[in-house]
Amino acid sequence: MDHYDVLVVGSGIGGMESAIKLGDMGYKVLLVEKEGSVGGRVILLSKVFPTLDCASCITTPKMAATIHHPNITAMTYSEVMGIRRGGDGRFRASVRQKARYVDESACTGCQLCESACTVAVPDQFNADLIARRAAYIPFPQAVPKKAVIERAGTSPCIDNCPAGIKAHGYVSLIRSGKYEEAFQLVLDATPLVGSLGRACYAPCESGCTRGELEGPLPIRRLKRFVADRHYREMEGPGVTPAQPNGKRVAIVGSGPAGLTAAWQLARNGYEVKIFEAAEEPGGFLRYAIPAYRLPQDVVEQDIANVTALGVQIATNSPVSDLGALRRDGFDAVLLATGTPLSSGLGIPGEQLQGVVGGLDFLRGVRHGRAPDLHGRRVVVVGGGNVAMDAARTARRLGAETLVAYRRGREEMPAHQAESDDAAAEGVEFRFLAAPIAVVGDSAGRVQGLRCQRMELGQPDASGRRRPTPVPGSEFMLPCDEVIAAIGMLPDTASFEAALPIAADRSVKVDPHTLQSEIPYIFAAGDVVTGPTDIARAVGQGRRAAHMIDRWLTNRPLTGFHALDDRLAAVDTAEVLGRQRRYTRHDPLVADVQHAALPRDFAEIEPPMREDEALQGAGACLDCGVCSECGQCVAACPPSAIDLSMRERTFDAEVGAVVVSTGYKLFAADLKPEYGFGKYPNVITAMQMDRLIAPTRPFNTILRPGDGKVPERIAYVMCTGSRDKTVGNPLCSKICCMYSTKQNQLIMGTLPLADVTVHYMDVRAAGKRYEEFYQQAKDMGASYIKGRVAKITETENGNLILRYEDIENGGEIAEAEYDLVVLAVGVQPNRDPERLFLDEPLGLDDYYYVAEPNEDLNPGKTSIPGVFVAGAASGTKDIVDTILHAGAAVAQVAAHLEQENRTKKVPV
Amino acid sequence: MSNTPTRDIREIIREEPLMHRPILRVLADGPLTVPEIAEALGRPADEVLFWVMGMRRYGMLAESKDPTDDGYFSYAAVGGGVPS
Repeated sequence: MDHYDVLVVGSGIGGMESAIKLGDMGYKVLLVEKEGSVGGRVILLSKVFPTLDCASCITTPKMAATIHHPNITAMTYSEVMGIRRGGDGRFRASVRQKARYVDESACTGCQLCESACTVAVPDQFNADLIARRAAYIPFPQAVPKKAVIERAGTSPCIDNCPAGIKAHGYVSLIRSGKYEEAFQLVLDATPLVGSLGRACYAPCESGCTRGELEGPLPIRRLKRFVADRHYREMEGPGVTPAQPNGKRVAIVGSGPAGLTAAWQLARNGYEVKIFEAAEEPGGFLRYAIPAYRLPQDVVEQDIANVTALGVQIATNSPVSDLGALRRDGFDAVLLATGTPLSSGLGIPGEQLQGVVGGLDFLRGVRHGRAPDLHGRRVVVVGGGNVAMDAARTARRLGAETLVAYRRGREEMPAHQAESDDAAAEGVEFRFLAAPIAVVGDSAGRVQGLRCQRMELGQPDASGRRRPTPVPGSEFMLPCDEVIAAIGMLPDTASFEAALPIAADRSVKVDPHTLQSEIPYIFAAGDVVTGPTDIARAVGQGRRAAHMIDRWLTNRPLTGFHALDDRLAAVDTAEVLGRQRRYTRHDPLVADVQHAALPRDFAEIEPPMREDEALQGAGACLDCGVCSECGQCVAACPPSAIDLSMRERTFDAEVGAVVVSTGYKLFAADLKPEYGFGKYPNVITAMQMDRLIAPTRPFNTILRPGDGKVPERIAYVMCTGSRDKTVGNPLCSKICCMYSTKQNQLIMGTLPLADVTVHYMDVRAAGKRYEEFYQQAKDMGASYIKGRVAKITETENGNLILRYEDIENGGEIAEAEYDLVVLAVGVQPNRDPERLFLDEPLGLDDYYYVAEPNEDLNPGKTSIPGVFVAGAASGTKDIVDTILHAGAAVAQVAAHLEQENRTKKVPV
Repeated sequence: MSNTPTRDIREIIREEPLMHRPILRVLADGPLTVPEIAEALGRPADEVLFWVMGMRRYGMLAESKDPTDDGYFSYAAVGGGVPS
């Protein structure tokens, strides 16, 4: 545990002043600031009243002193999670240091990450007047001037992907018009960009938060879009592999897992050779997915990515002796042979002519051995995706096709889209039908399938309702062909002597490392997991490549960040809670025209047009904020960005606590009659301060509605202060003067502008404040006494103020302005309430931190040893905040010295 | 008024990267004011302002030296204009 004399919470002007003075006295100070820079709100102001000194000029020295003070440990982008008092009277604070995802020691503050970032979010440091990026430096004078990558968690689309593909990343790249970069981001995970863009079942879309609104983004088709574009316009993958490292890896099987592993290893400098038993590479992609879903040329383009890196693929090369590969000089072997065998029906008549396994049927068709099924009746047994593919393929070959499945539609393991498409193409379904025998004629050919009707009972281990036979319900399905598509199995018989094989014929490996009992042999994909899908096999291939690389370089088999160390998925409710309203984005559905009797194997899903891709990508909600597109990583000259960083929590023991958490500004939309948030040319005074500041978001003072330089500007004083209707009866004390300051600065910046202040009474009680107010009037500011009742908007964006003119007979009048500034009041920041876990921190009647003996002991709170500095205890201007911090510092010192004397607490 | 915002600011700002190319396209023939860009795109001026200012911030656009008589600055593409 770290030990400090004082914990200062918050680094506004009060916090910095407290920390610096305490540090100057020799106390060890821990300063915790939740934002990425110290400085609080003052650094964001234009100038300060009444001196009109530059806010940056007076604040940046304090910011630098805070960060560089030898007795201050300043932790930015951190939060105090809770404070408890120990038995010795000291405090234990739990501090959460959020991950910046940037190595502060390496970051030079060049902002190239910001320029490269593809995610735009409202800039809180510019009062939401402009966008910043997910990669950002809080503001130009930030101390430390180090970037932060804002990450709320892993976006659900990425979190749902078993291949670890950064879907949010490529969506945000497409949105930015960076199509090749999007392709490369997918390629970073797998060479199978085109295949996944067509045949993946898109778990990313299942997780898409837009699905909670009107429907998910077309994420899979967006992947296809960039793949189509790349293959049309580019030669080769555009990836340069690492220098050869002299090590060789053999991969047995060229399906999604094998190809992905080969790609990853070859990129890292390994010499890779794939041994494929079939006559062409691709495994499941090649022979199990029909061409109408995945054309052959797309598979070949994807495989060409792999061979472009020098990977050799030996076809017609079955491997039965893995040890022989080792003897041939391969340093490691990856077994990725998938599940090429069809499960048998296990019923009488299975050997009759006309009975074929689902995979065998699909493989034959893919290899040009399609049977002529015109006029023939085909029954496909099974309810999975292979059954759907077999049924739709049989339709294309001319058959009347019926799917017999022993459970109901709800229990079918096939994806809904697949069964819907099958039905649209004329495939019929017979549910609750279990085959009990294949019936043949005297020549040994299939005549029909005898079935038994089933009914559904309680859910079984798979969670689906278990089918049970209905006695006496047998019936016959007349047919000429039976396609058995009830399951797939690995073909591992030849490895049984060398490797442990499970009862389901899968290879037993460590599920995390994919290493077998024989260290140089790894296995991945469906041969390990049983039948899954392309994305899962890709994920396995990536994992295997990573682990083989680690093993061959004598490193621990850990660190597979693509899948094992992701941030927790961001909560969907949190994402949706970021906006008050959403514009509807109609889901983009592919215009697939299903023929009731399809006759060819042409691809049925049309390609995505560019305008569709942009429309689809434009609907992304940026759930995780950072999209993980990787552009900042590529742009950062010193390689300072590290997305594998994680937050850390630590405890600190302190002798005293200073609460300097400042204040909140009134939320102007709580006065709906003034139209803030509805009329773009109604802004808050904080927004005006940003428009006036040298680091302003616009090129000058412009009205947000259309960028016009305003000529007539109105101020509405006491917005949300001295107003019981919004629960804030207090005067906010600083509004009169900050408005007067702004009036003068506006008239200096825009000499032709008229400024009118609608006020109740001007409170100018302070040194030179009255003179400051008179100066504004002398410069030309008009003051109208009376409450503004309502603001309405004209066609051109001007604003009509309806007000009471007290000094001219109290008449109700109206005036038109270009821009209205709401001088919003100040409210308590209630964050300190949650800090103290043992005893509540006392608050006053208005929820500011209470100072029970304010007159004689300013800065002391209800908790001994806890002090308050600045506006956390009530509205104060900068001068009063400095003074109040001084008082708090004196109280802290007195407390610590007294503790030292009486308790001998080491400091 | 035509530019009364009905959309959440976060949603408008999120679209800024999407709008880079359309805005650069309409600026290909010369600088335009925010209302002119808005008219060319058929989008509300207050939304266009967010996008234009975001692009200006990150060096894609630059403003004219002086505003027009109507009080509007013009904005021009900086550098290569519309990316290929």
